[in-house]
Amino acid sequence: MEISLGFISDWLSAAVRQAAPVMLVGVGGVFTERSGILNIGLEGMMLMGALTAVAANFLTGGNVLVATICAMLAGGVLSVGHAYLTVTRRANQIVSGLSINFFALGLTNVLIARLFPTQRCRVALYPVLVPERLHDIPFIGPVIFSQSVIVWIAFVLPLIAAWVLYRTSWGLNIRAVGDHPHAVATAGLSVIRLKYVGVILSGMFAGLGGSALVLSDLGYFVENITAGRGFIALAAIIVGKWNPIWVAVVCLLFGVADAFQLRLQTFGSAVPHQVLIMLPYLLTIAALAGFVGRTVAPKTINQPYDPEKI
Amino acid sequence: MMKRELVKSKMKSLWQTTLKDIVFTSARPVYAIGLAFLVSAIMIGASKVNPITAYVALFQGAFGSLAGLANTCVRATPLLLAGLGIAYGFKAGLLNIGAEGQMYAGGAAATVVALIPLPVPAFLHVTLAVLAGFAGGIIWGIIPGYLRAYRGVSEIVVTLMLNYVAIYLINWLVEEPHPLAELNTTFPQSPIIEKSAQLPILIKYTSMHAGIILGIVLGLILYLLLRYTPFGFKTRMIGQNPEAARYAGIRIKRQILFAMLISCGFGGLAGASEVLGLKHRLFDYFVGGVGYEAIAVALLANGNALGVIFSAFFFGALKAGANKMQIVSGIESSMALIVMALAVLFVIAIGFGERKFRPKRKKDKDSTERGIKAYGD
Repeated sequence: MEISLGFISDWLSAAVRQAAPVMLVGVGGVFTERSGILNIGLEGMMLMGALTAVAANFLTGGNVLVATICAMLAGGVLSVGHAYLTVTRRANQIVSGLSINFFALGLTNVLIARLFPTQRCRVALYPVLVPERLHDIPFIGPVIFSQSVIVWIAFVLPLIAAWVLYRTSWGLNIRAVGDHPHAVATAGLSVIRLKYVGVILSGMFAGLGGSALVLSDLGYFVENITAGRGFIALAAIIVGKWNPIWVAVVCLLFGVADAFQLRLQTFGSAVPHQVLIMLPYLLTIAALAGFVGRTVAPKTINQPYDPEKI
Repeated sequence: MMKRELVKSKMKSLWQTTLKDIVFTSARPVYAIGLAFLVSAIMIGASKVNPITAYVALFQGAFGSLAGLANTCVRATPLLLAGLGIAYGFKAGLLNIGAEGQMYAGGAAATVVALIPLPVPAFLHVTLAVLAGFAGGIIWGIIPGYLRAYRGVSEIVVTLMLNYVAIYLINWLVEEPHPLAELNTTFPQSPIIEKSAQLPILIKYTSMHAGIILGIVLGLILYLLLRYTPFGFKTRMIGQNPEAARYAGIRIKRQILFAMLISCGFGGLAGASEVLGLKHRLFDYFVGGVGYEAIAVALLANGNALGVIFSAFFFGALKAGANKMQIVSGIESSMALIVMALAVLFVIAIGFGERKFRPKRKKDKDSTERGIKAYGD
């Protein structure tokens, strides 16, 4: 295959576009994991968000803003369930998350068949802000200007999330609650409330990610459209060491690999393209095993918080 | 005479505890399943279909005919085999959510053996292929097992990530120029496996294969092993109290690795039975989420091997009946997934309450608490 500037800008443009939804889910997921609750249900929440975005968009006749808000609410509602089970009932976080994934998969399958019984219907997409004639500028045209507004939001949000997490007292509380919940309780803060907010934030971001997935260039929903992207976000959180900016960088890296893999398939090459798709998963295992620097997870992640037990 | 009395009374107590086990471990899931059906009925009602019509169709689809019954068994088989592995993991304090990947690995390994035209009797060939599946699962368990036992890395995320690695590995294996691919076909898939390596069909003109017997027998064996042997005691000990196990002289790292490998091996068996009994070839995404459903199966059974047999049949019936329900009442078969998810969500929601409100029921509390602890890490 030929490596030209056109090829590279085309490739990076696809990478940025594909990374954006995962980035949103991953950055949101940092909040829940920092608060000590593992949310495997991100996949399901993203799926639910994607369906809701398409449905709301269709029913309102192309109102993208309403669709986005509905998608975030849908993810949020599912995450309230997760928070109730894991924080209030102290149930196992993995089991709860997995069941939410099942539930979302089943529900979206049923609902999509109801919504569009005969044919798939295309709905309005997120607007592209920069005028069309600027898209031809070499490199930055396709990579940045031609992207829809949600992609830009996805790239700004990690910065805001990092600022909130590391520069505000609320961010300090969230970080502390995952590491030393009892200390937070001693300081007079509500551990339960902080955890709830962390989980719900992740759910809303996952819903937003789902909406970004379907409304940035597809415009329709098919069964299980997320296809494991929620798990990739989970992987990015671990490789990115629970820091929103690094998580975003890792998501972008995964996007670059994925977009390259697609091109590899069409051109054909000696390197199996499957190796590149496996990359996120293998990197995550390597990171956990301690091969890629030291990985320090929030200390009480995946443990129920019992105020009476130190 | 004395000895006979002793044996008799022992047998009696054995039977009693087994009976108790069945009654108590099933009580909680039964409520949860009832609630799940109730909530689903409301959802079905909301889409203007009589839920009773839908459920009757579901039941008929699963049990109403010989074909339906066979279909139930076929659907239950991989859930049962993989569920047993996960349940065994629970007992050892491991949460193996990688049955999906282990099924792919086991299926691939079984395919390799099943494709070779070995000059041996069919019985031996199929046994070898099944064992290869078990080995494939074990190989898939080496990384998470080693990382958990010797480096303290949680097995949960590692097994989850390996699921996807397995999917793409199969994708590579069956793509045209690669080892297991059938040449000159439109679909990426392996050739049909040798006749001698296929699991025998139990009922003529249905697809019910011998995998279900393998599952039930292994379930019974696992139950007895865990309950009545030193091996079972050791397993439960590393699950409940690893510190105490270490003091008791159990080499706990080795035991954890061993438990993880066996747990994953069952996943491999499930994949092998799918390939050898039902699909008869390897192709992309042939597992299709069954490995995740098996977690729900093991959970609903509270990690009890006998319970896994029942819950696997329940889920199998649900999946088999859902198609009939779709045809008769127009309710999408995905409703089965919703029932499944709700049942598990209700189990974990009810579960904690039981411990809180009824702390004194000794035997029962023992088994529930053990289960809850095993799920957490």
